[in-house]
Amino acid sequence: MKKAITYFRKLPLELIFWIGALIGILRIDPYSPHHFSLCPLDNLGFTWCPGCGLGRAMSLLTRGDFQESWSMHPLAMFAFAVIIFRIFELIRNLKTTKHYG
Amino acid sequence: MANVLKHLPELEGMELGYIQGILKNMDDEQANLFAQVYRARRKDNQMILILCLLGFFGFAGLHRFIIGQIGLGILYLLTAGLCFIGTIVDLINYKSLAYEYNMKIAHETLSMMSNGNFPTAQNGNGNENS
Repeated sequence: MKKAITYFRKLPLELIFWIGALIGILRIDPYSPHHFSLCPLDNLGFTWCPGCGLGRAMSLLTRGDFQESWSMHPLAMFAFAVIIFRIFELIRNLKTTKHYG
Repeated sequence: MANVLKHLPELEGMELGYIQGILKNMDDEQANLFAQVYRARRKDNQMILILCLLGFFGFAGLHRFIIGQIGLGILYLLTAGLCFIGTIVDLINYKSLAYEYNMKIAHETLSMMSNGNFPTAQNGNGNENS
């Protein structure tokens, strides 16, 4: 039990964030008209920002709806590639670094 | 054995321990050389923090560019830092971003020294890192 706790302590916050983000995106229902939004800009009352629809576009991508995804946000594919690459990089860092001292 | 506090007194926290682990196999002359090169190349974590804060004024992701993550930098720049969420996470996380980059630089510096680019560091320095 204690071992598990120290193991989780060592996990970088960024890794948890990206994996959580991907899981969250998989759980979005992109077709429903009212979507729940975490976006702070949206909650402040702005109706548009450059990242609007990225999550829904990535969710559509996992369902194979490429055309709809592109019209929602063209960067979805790029975002997927970059985030997955970053997750692999973080896991590799976790395995190879040994902290002295 | 060289002391990190003598050669690189501005380090703190995890980075201090990490660099001490590297320096403990060196004599003073090698450590001096290492400290010079490392100090010139490392990124201060305050700079990462300030560039990250620029994300709230429309230029998100500059910190990702400067630590060599070009893909994430472009993504942040074009989506206003993933609608500010990514910027806020990096604001909390800026120290480990800087630490990750500085570790990479420390290893680069070490391998440069062991490759013999510096004539003073040639003798028997290459085995502690590989």
